[in-house]
Amino acid sequence: MIDKENNIFDTVKNYYNDYGFRAKDLKREGKKFIGYVCSFVPLEIITASGSLPFRVRGNIHEPITKGDTLLETIVCPYYRSVFDLSVKGEYDFLSGLVIPHGCDSMVRSFSAWSYGLPFSYFHFVNIPSVCDESSFEFFDAELDAFRKSLGKFTGKAITEEHLRQAIRAYNENRDKVRALYELRKADPPLISGTELTMTLTAGSSLPIEESNDLFDQVLTEVKGRGKSPLKKGPRIFIDGACLDNIELIKLVEELGGNVVADTICNGARDHFPKTDVGGDPIHALAHRYLDKINCPKTYRANRAGTFEGDIANRFGDVGTYAREFRVDGAILYVYKYCDPFGFEVPARKAYYQSLNLPLLHLEDIYSAGTISQLRTRVQAFLEMIGQ
Amino acid sequence: MAEEQKEAKPKKRMTATKAAASIGPMVKEFITGTLQAKAEGKQKVAYTFIVCHHEEIFRALDVIPVWTENFAGICGAKRDAERFLQRAESLGLSRSLCTYALCGIGFDQWREELGQMPPEAPWGGQVRPDFMISSGQILCDPRSKWYQASQQFMPDVPIYNIDLPYPLFQENRDHREALGYYHQYIVKQLRGLVAFLEEQTKKKMNYDRLRELVDLSDRTWNLIDETYKLRRAAPCPMGTGDAMNTMVPINFMMATQKAYDFFVDLKKELEEKIAKGEGEVENEKYRLMWGGGLPAWYALNDFNYFNSKGASFPVETTYRMVAPLHEMDIPETKDPIEHLAWRWLGYWTFWYDKAKKRPGSEPDVERLINWIEEYKIDGVVMHEAFSCRTWHVGLIWQLHQLAKIYKPIPVYMIGKDGQKGKVYRELPSLILESDIIDITSYSEVDTRNKIDAFVETLESIRANRAT
Amino acid sequence: MTSYFAGIDIGSTMTKAVILNKGGIASIIGPTGPEQRRLANKVMEEALKKASLSFPQITYIVATGYGRINVPFSDKQFTEITCHAKGIVHLFPQARTIIDIGGQDVKGIKIDATGKIIDFVMNDKCAAGSGRFIEVIADTLEVPLDQVGERSLQSKNPSKISNICTIWAQQEVASSLSEGVAIADLLAGVHQSLADRIIRMVNRLRVEDSVIVTGGGAKNRGLIKALSEQLGHKVLVPEDPLITGALGAALMGKEIVEKARQNNTPLETKERILEEIEIL
Repeated sequence: MIDKENNIFDTVKNYYNDYGFRAKDLKREGKKFIGYVCSFVPLEIITASGSLPFRVRGNIHEPITKGDTLLETIVCPYYRSVFDLSVKGEYDFLSGLVIPHGCDSMVRSFSAWSYGLPFSYFHFVNIPSVCDESSFEFFDAELDAFRKSLGKFTGKAITEEHLRQAIRAYNENRDKVRALYELRKADPPLISGTELTMTLTAGSSLPIEESNDLFDQVLTEVKGRGKSPLKKGPRIFIDGACLDNIELIKLVEELGGNVVADTICNGARDHFPKTDVGGDPIHALAHRYLDKINCPKTYRANRAGTFEGDIANRFGDVGTYAREFRVDGAILYVYKYCDPFGFEVPARKAYYQSLNLPLLHLEDIYSAGTISQLRTRVQAFLEMIGQ
Repeated sequence: MAEEQKEAKPKKRMTATKAAASIGPMVKEFITGTLQAKAEGKQKVAYTFIVCHHEEIFRALDVIPVWTENFAGICGAKRDAERFLQRAESLGLSRSLCTYALCGIGFDQWREELGQMPPEAPWGGQVRPDFMISSGQILCDPRSKWYQASQQFMPDVPIYNIDLPYPLFQENRDHREALGYYHQYIVKQLRGLVAFLEEQTKKKMNYDRLRELVDLSDRTWNLIDETYKLRRAAPCPMGTGDAMNTMVPINFMMATQKAYDFFVDLKKELEEKIAKGEGEVENEKYRLMWGGGLPAWYALNDFNYFNSKGASFPVETTYRMVAPLHEMDIPETKDPIEHLAWRWLGYWTFWYDKAKKRPGSEPDVERLINWIEEYKIDGVVMHEAFSCRTWHVGLIWQLHQLAKIYKPIPVYMIGKDGQKGKVYRELPSLILESDIIDITSYSEVDTRNKIDAFVETLESIRANRAT
Repeated sequence: MTSYFAGIDIGSTMTKAVILNKGGIASIIGPTGPEQRRLANKVMEEALKKASLSFPQITYIVATGYGRINVPFSDKQFTEITCHAKGIVHLFPQARTIIDIGGQDVKGIKIDATGKIIDFVMNDKCAAGSGRFIEVIADTLEVPLDQVGERSLQSKNPSKISNICTIWAQQEVASSLSEGVAIADLLAGVHQSLADRIIRMVNRLRVEDSVIVTGGGAKNRGLIKALSEQLGHKVLVPEDPLITGALGAALMGKEIVEKARQNNTPLETKERILEEIEIL
């Protein structure tokens, strides 16, 4: 039983606010952490190597200073913040860093990272921008190269069995996240969006077993709740890239909305797709990370031949979640300078219109300084839905 | 909509070479050519992007490429991009995104809405394509998003997206280990393009013709390399201002005899100028390198402004999208597609080995260092265009690395005479800030103040050295 | 018993209060400076005085505007988007597009045939797209703010202001002035430039008739002319554009009270004590 005095959410908050403290502890015990950014880095390979993946985060409360002396301000503001924290030494406990081909900001700044930070291991994982037979072949080879390179670094050859074990652990983690999302289906949801995002973010700073443990405890806690921490309100969907801070979600909930589902990277985008088991593990990982992660970065061919068919195919996950979680309105939250998401705004708007779902499009710069501007927009949007 | 306002026309830029002066009409002819071809309907026209090493495939199947980046650049140079950018914005697209793409999407949406060209479209406008070939690379995100966004307004126009990656430079990794599977992938992607074009054109690829075209562009590559290396001469016979014109045959006309002939003429012209001691500027005082960034197309006159201060630009990293083929280890192959894929990888990994040999270097930095030495450069100028991450992220860092080598303190070096001597290798740099085509980000007064201050720095460094 | 509804709109430069029962009965406007912001209670007091009412007689009070969260004596807060829409639809039932030009920001609101908001846009907190732009330029040209609109109408040859950044535009205007360009032409140019910025933003809503312009900017005839010309739509302006937000707020209060009475649900209200607002 969980002691009310020692609520599991205090632990979550701790992991969230003092991000990385557990990793620092484990490092003292001799564990190696490999940092990563973006949804495209196969965490299973890192875990299979015996080292521990750690998602590096930005901080919207920390003004970007040192980072701007090395990296242009036209870079994605989220990524700029992550870089700034890294060059300020926030993540010096890491042994290495893996950056995937997620977007131009990542590709073009790779040298600034790899020459500017004190880690002994760096690796760039190239991700195809299309999904066809040859790109899977390529990606298999690219992931295999990553496996070998990491194995060389850790001094341990990564076997298929290691990979299978890691895949199982991550699939289990994804099942738990799914179960957490199930708790959002109640009206009002049993778990607030703020709690959920905090939990998932905390999880990405922990070894997978500890993350699984944490999620189990959160599940027990929330299932045991008599009532929701939220008042009934418009059920809001968040559509966007990486939202590794809770401010926007907290704002929506403070203003009376209930955040019930999302496509964000540290939400459904990362945590819903599972890896197939049974076949070749590298191939299964290639399939998961290239095809199942639905990111605008990947070009999906228009097979329908119509615009309506194309958007239904590309954004179908949004429609499925909107129905499943009985969504009343959506916030499309896009960072300034984000080309992959930015170019989809008109099509996404059209898609929401086809669902008859009110939409608020916000362009933001990953800074706590914009919260008051967002407040009026979000409140007006909630008022609009409530008319 | 309100009546669209155009910016005042810029003054005509002075070119140093006759060849560069001939480019304007060539582009105009090219744009009108696409409109005419579409009207006649004999050849298919396709939107596509530069630097994809696929021109040979297009031309072998008689597909006319419509270079959408070129058209956006023309709108910018004519200071007539704003109305298309605003259209794109009204669709919900952010002004922080690639403005080439915004301009193109705004134009497409307008043309599709009207069912004809928007009023007073620059040079007759951008033709409605039969299909679009986009490219996801490891180079530019907007390339695989732009046509997808445009397709919303012309859903009947199909897209084929080819992926053309290359191994990113990693200090601790031998890129050769990866070349095999990269090559295999690119070959398959290009074969996919051939199949798509065959289906669209109802033609069969003639591989003999393709081989001839590949051979023609290989020869053009080497010729361009030889021609541009002539700019090492002092005074420099042709600067970056002109190169922003001669980029047209390199990037838009590859695999044509016309492009080859253009460089035959340019080479001859440069040789004549060198023989006569004619420089880009009458009294060459400073030799600068355009070390990064696409130009502000509406402000090419700034190159003339540099020239008026005695500064010449013998070399630029921008749009020099060729490298000497004989310096790449390209495996022998009879298959032109395989050759294209090797050439692609050879170009992108050209500086990798050299960079690995110099601590702290990196391919882009290595290229800067090599050209600073080869072209006897006094300072580096870069342009940061806010809307394009592809070419404009990493520039500050490159200058940072460069500053570790070119320090403002005396370095003792063994000179040609074998004597150890004090050498000042300080290399000042200037970063200009605006955009490729969004003129609202540009201030002429501000830019020219920066240029003045930079030239004063060059002057004072020279004066210090002299004492 | 007669019910009275109050709306208070604390904007970035002005505080507005409206009291109504069935129709409007009193409205008052006071400045919102860094000091006056906390004195919104004074504006309320004046409005009450004008309406010959005491504060406890007010049935319901709604706060709106930029300072809405800091009104301790309001029963509920709504954004200025909802309140402007409510106020404008009350005055102009045919309204489909509303442009609110405030001191620090500009908003566009799209209304459907039933008077409901279907979409809205807001500019970023950048002075260039708001009333502040005109203020800065008026200051540079030494023209009193309340005259800039009229003076601009005298221009036959509006000058082109190419910079959209307020600081750059200020420099540009200053240098044009020294080159002898007429003040009226510069003012007309500045109005066109601002209108252009505003239209760029509201175009995302697909502008439909009737277009209503409200807020402080609506009092500037030069700006209205530029907007109407560039928009290609006729533009309507309320008689007193400053108070439409406060009016909407009072109307929102009225609706809440009527709904509660209809459903027989208790009305949650604050104690009727006027007190100073805490500094933001």
